Amino acid sequence: MQPVATPAGRPPRNEDERALVAALRRGDEAAFVALVQSHGVSLQHVARTFVRDAAVAEEVVQETWLAVLNGIDRFEGRSSLKTWIFQILSNRARTRAVREGRSAPFSALLGDSGDDGATVDADRFRGEDHRWVGHWAAAPSDWSHLPEQTLLGRETLARVRDAIATLPPRQADVLVLRDVDGWEAEEVCEALGLSTGNQRILLHRARSKVRAALEHYLSEGATA
Amino acid sequence: MSTDVEHVTCRELVEILTDYLEGALDPAGRVEIERHIVICRGCSNYVEQMRSTIDLLGRIAADEPAEGQSDRLLEMFRQWQAARSDGG
Repeated sequence: MQPVATPAGRPPRNEDERALVAALRRGDEAAFVALVQSHGVSLQHVARTFVRDAAVAEEVVQETWLAVLNGIDRFEGRSSLKTWIFQILSNRARTRAVREGRSAPFSALLGDSGDDGATVDADRFRGEDHRWVGHWAAAPSDWSHLPEQTLLGRETLARVRDAIATLPPRQADVLVLRDVDGWEAEEVCEALGLSTGNQRILLHRARSKVRAALEHYLSEGATA
Repeated sequence: MSTDVEHVTCRELVEILTDYLEGALDPAGRVEIERHIVICRGCSNYVEQMRSTIDLLGRIAADEPAEGQSDRLLEMFRQWQAARSDGG
């Protein structure tokens, strides 16, 4: 996770991207397949943030690819190819969501995210009656003592997936793009139309819940 | 000079941890968090747990695209390509 420094308006997009765009303009099938492999899954994830139905989301993704191909001659490289593709997707998905009667999911943001109290249960901390108020009463354990096959094992990863599945949708969207697909914060904000502050709040809640689910599992099930 | 996070408690730290990890705290806030983590075993474990959680999230394979989607996309691409060469 290295920081990216791509100040807006600075043209030198990398050579690979220019080559890719040129190949698409030539109608190079391998270039298209490579592009779909890089972004297809994330496109599907973002589409589903607007239209929950998987089949409709898939249609939106397909329409997006067609729009990308039809527009590739006009792509000027002012943004990255990725940003451009996701802007096309967001526009189409938003239009589609309105048509489906499910508009602007992110505008209502935190109000309907199904939330939600503290990041960590209040009873894990010392109360007002204690000298160390607000400090751990039941402190988290050290996971570095766990065997690697426990911490990184299949079962643990399955718990991570389960935890994601129980998150409110907006939290899951941000978490998947950021931590599973590896997007930068700005890219998520841009694609989902979120402010940086709201992106961070959603990410925070989502990560905190996944951590709590893992803590629960690792403190009981995994060692039994 | 005081900030909101001066002498942060553990309970407060877990609430602003993402701000810290995302580089969104001001320098004073950042220093306070780091000072706290050094002296507090519980919070140092908590931060490491959070880092492990993020690492694990990066290890789960993202969902596979829907069955047949890549075939449909390829078909679409070939039609586009054919129309493009017809059009000159």
